[in-house]
Amino acid sequence: MMDLLSFFTWLDTSWLAELSKANGGVFAVVQMIHLLALTVLGGMVLVQDLRLFGLVLQNVELRVMVGYTSRWFDAALATSVVSGIFMSSAVAMKLLYNEMFWAKMAALLVGAIFVYVIERPLLRRTGDDLRVVTCRLVGASSLMIWFTVAAAGRWIGFS
Amino acid sequence: MLNEWLLALAQFLAAQEWSIALHESIYAYAWIESIHVLTLTLFLGMLVIIDLRMLGWAFSRFPATVLAKRLNQPMLIGFAIMVVTGLILYYAIPIRTTQSIWFRIKVVLLIVAGINAWLFHRALRNRTKNWNDRGVPPLRLRAGAGLSLILWGGVVFAGRAIAYDWFDCHKPLTGLMFWAAGCVDELAAFEAAGH
Repeated sequence: MMDLLSFFTWLDTSWLAELSKANGGVFAVVQMIHLLALTVLGGMVLVQDLRLFGLVLQNVELRVMVGYTSRWFDAALATSVVSGIFMSSAVAMKLLYNEMFWAKMAALLVGAIFVYVIERPLLRRTGDDLRVVTCRLVGASSLMIWFTVAAAGRWIGFS
Repeated sequence: MLNEWLLALAQFLAAQEWSIALHESIYAYAWIESIHVLTLTLFLGMLVIIDLRMLGWAFSRFPATVLAKRLNQPMLIGFAIMVVTGLILYYAIPIRTTQSIWFRIKVVLLIVAGINAWLFHRALRNRTKNWNDRGVPPLRLRAGAGLSLILWGGVVFAGRAIAYDWFDCHKPLTGLMFWAAGCVDELAAFEAAGH
């Protein structure tokens, strides 16, 4: 907790915070970029999950699908994280004590581990040989995790 | 005249019991707004994938028209959810939304994006034979897809900006801005003051 406190205290007084607190317009534009990145990230997650459920693009091989979606997912995630850090700097001390923010961060960590350690290696290695039930389990887990990230993120604004 | 009509409609809606209940609710409004925002991933997510394919930047080894056809259904489901939740959000806060310059920009961009989508689909029907399996579609389709991404990005920008009060009617705006935002009373007072 002390490390988090010192990090957020540093963030609250950093040059990023100076920029984000003093310029409402810059903050708003970054917030919109964050939202557009969410759109791309969510779109890539959804199309892959719908494919795992067998609802769309059934004739695209899973390995090929991962190849298509991963590049855009990575770019969108990186954009979300960078824009998210900037947005956090404007309200750093408030976020430190916000439960929804930490729910989102926890879900985001779970999501990143899920994608890079479980889902992607599994789909790349096994591809279409994966059992239907496993496909659906992976798809359902992915949907739930990323829904939690996005919903908790939206709820920070209400809490 | 149009501004007066729109304001009268907004005032009529704002007086409705359900509109007040939604506006004053603790969770209902927040949930509907969250659904509206999260459905972006379904509607705009699918649209972005189709447009990126049309530009030749993603799914390039997959026939473009087949991809567009397959993703059309989830995209339209997302669009329907966004329209319904969007209308409810408008119904909950009708006057401020009607007098929001950003909401007005969003509506204009939505109309232009709709026209672009119609022209795009017309061009798509006429020109699918020779390029469908190739990575990059013809220039006209690529331009339509690029314009679609820019317009929908603009819709998201304008939609998010509705939350900000930079150009609300109570701010000191110019006559043109009062008119463009539909600030009927403020424009009348502005003109009466001799501006």
